[in-house]
Amino acid sequence: MSKLLIIDDEEGIRKVLSLSLASDGYEVITASGGEEGIDKFKNESPPVVLTDIKMPGIDGIEVLKQVKESNPDAEVIMITGHGDMDLAIEALKLDASDFLNKPIKDEALSVALKRAEQRIAIREKLKAYTDDLENMVSIATEEVKRRSEFQNKLITSSNDAIIATDEKGAVVIYNQGAEKIFGYPRSEIIRKMNIYQLYPPAIVSEFRAGLEKRDGVDLSNWREVSVVTKKGEDVPTRFSGSILYGDDEVVGSVGFFQDLREIKRLQEELIKSERLAATGQTVAGLAHYIKNILNGLKGGTYVLNVALDRKNTDKIKSGWAMLERNVERISDLVLDLLAYSKDRRPEPENCFPNEIIQEVCTLMEAKAGEHDIEVKRNLDPLLAEVFLDPKALHRSLLNLVSNAIDACIFDSTAKKKWQVTVSTVIEKNNIIRFQVADNGTGMDTKTKEKLFSSLFSTKGERGTGLGLLVTEKIVKENGGEITVESELGKGTTFTIYLPYQEVQKSANVR
Amino acid sequence: MAKKVLNVEDDPDIRTFVTTVLEENGFIPIMAKDGEEGTKKVREEKPDLIILDILMPKESGIKMYHELKRNPSLKDIPVVMLSGVAKRTFLRSQVALTEFGDETVPEPEAYLEKPVEAEDLAEILKKILG
Repeated sequence: MSKLLIIDDEEGIRKVLSLSLASDGYEVITASGGEEGIDKFKNESPPVVLTDIKMPGIDGIEVLKQVKESNPDAEVIMITGHGDMDLAIEALKLDASDFLNKPIKDEALSVALKRAEQRIAIREKLKAYTDDLENMVSIATEEVKRRSEFQNKLITSSNDAIIATDEKGAVVIYNQGAEKIFGYPRSEIIRKMNIYQLYPPAIVSEFRAGLEKRDGVDLSNWREVSVVTKKGEDVPTRFSGSILYGDDEVVGSVGFFQDLREIKRLQEELIKSERLAATGQTVAGLAHYIKNILNGLKGGTYVLNVALDRKNTDKIKSGWAMLERNVERISDLVLDLLAYSKDRRPEPENCFPNEIIQEVCTLMEAKAGEHDIEVKRNLDPLLAEVFLDPKALHRSLLNLVSNAIDACIFDSTAKKKWQVTVSTVIEKNNIIRFQVADNGTGMDTKTKEKLFSSLFSTKGERGTGLGLLVTEKIVKENGGEITVESELGKGTTFTIYLPYQEVQKSANVR
Repeated sequence: MAKKVLNVEDDPDIRTFVTTVLEENGFIPIMAKDGEEGTKKVREEKPDLIILDILMPKESGIKMYHELKRNPSLKDIPVVMLSGVAKRTFLRSQVALTEFGDETVPEPEAYLEKPVEAEDLAEILKKILG
């Protein structure tokens, strides 16, 4: 049951209202003046107060003030007489709920009370709703916190380095993974270093551009970068990053680094084991090749013995030639092996590259002629005397021309005019381009891939697989480069780019 | 009358060696440096025996052997294979050729793997040519 306080100095009004409202079900409290009214209000805290506006002593306005002061939610209905308009307006300003004009009609009273009760009900609903809202907010806050903790844990426990910065590049997130890769503890990084000091120069400029909101910055593609640790060691990593935006404004950056040390180590081990396997194959191949040479020597001694018995000079010559050829093969093999296994320092001197090419071509022409292969020269007349390693050039070109001739010999195309073309061209920046092109068998992609990777021969028992490796090694030792183009059935072109120096005045310059 | 022996071989050292062995044992040596030249010389010289290498440029010994044995007028010339390739591999290659529809051919009269001793080669030749 709802309480109601009536304050009026006229006893008649108090009585009439009390009776009427009590019969409507209210618990009515009355007071005959302002002072008593305020006391009763404080003791009984009724939600609704009806007070006369004009009273001796503390008047209605003062009652209103004090009631509202002690409970702003209390509904105060003012009872006004004729000509109290100014006071009524003042009461309104002081948050009075309603007015009842004297004489008070039952109807007006019940409407005013109903309105007051509705307001109270609404306020209670609002309060309940607000309380609920606060509850919801605290649940949501809890959830946000839980998620943020979850994300925090994700970041912390990630094996990859995660480093986030504010918009100025100062580090705000730096996880364990980052500690492992960069070597700095968190305490030395968070808010103390920026990424411009921490990151390798290769990506610093991009982050700077990104944070300064310049266009064209895309850090998202994974790439390999080398990171320098606190101790100054280089750590290979795989990196990706991003500039962070909030409402179109740059708010920071994040970088992810994956440690590649273990992967690199495994790769190196794999290469090493592949090399070992290649060495095994090489030994088998070499043994076979050497056995062939031995057979040649053995056959030669047989032929020589027969020739000596028969005193056949022609046969002595051919037996002797057999021995010589195989001794030559052995010495070539040993030279190749030495060249392959040892580092050789280039020995440059003044020489004419075109003349060296002529020598090589002449040397190989005998073998080429036997198989109807033409050796063509296409030499740059502008290529004069230069300062480079003539032995290196001779050996590399000899290997390539010999290979080119073999490629023609093994070409099974019935009718073809086989040609090996050797050319020289002076290029820019003190580089000579040497090219050996043949129209022989050519190579498929698989063969081409194996060319420089391991000791590998397509010539069966006739080859060791050393030739190209030696050639490549010599070319590289001399600061040059070797490339190959080939098409199965069409032919192969090897190109060597070799740097040279101008002719040296002093004869013995090394 | 001395019998003619054709040696088809791309390695000049082995040609010299085989020539000497043949001469020493009373045969007339005929030399060819690849399958193409070998096929030509078989027709021209009608040898009594052929010593055939397998890995040669241009026409290989595998193909030449197969063609010899499928030619009615040449198939009775005895063939001695002299190669660095193992006998098993050679026989498999001949089977492989039949899979393309060619008829099966008989095995060679003898199969010698390089290196061969002069005496061994001479003995085989004498046994086949009587």
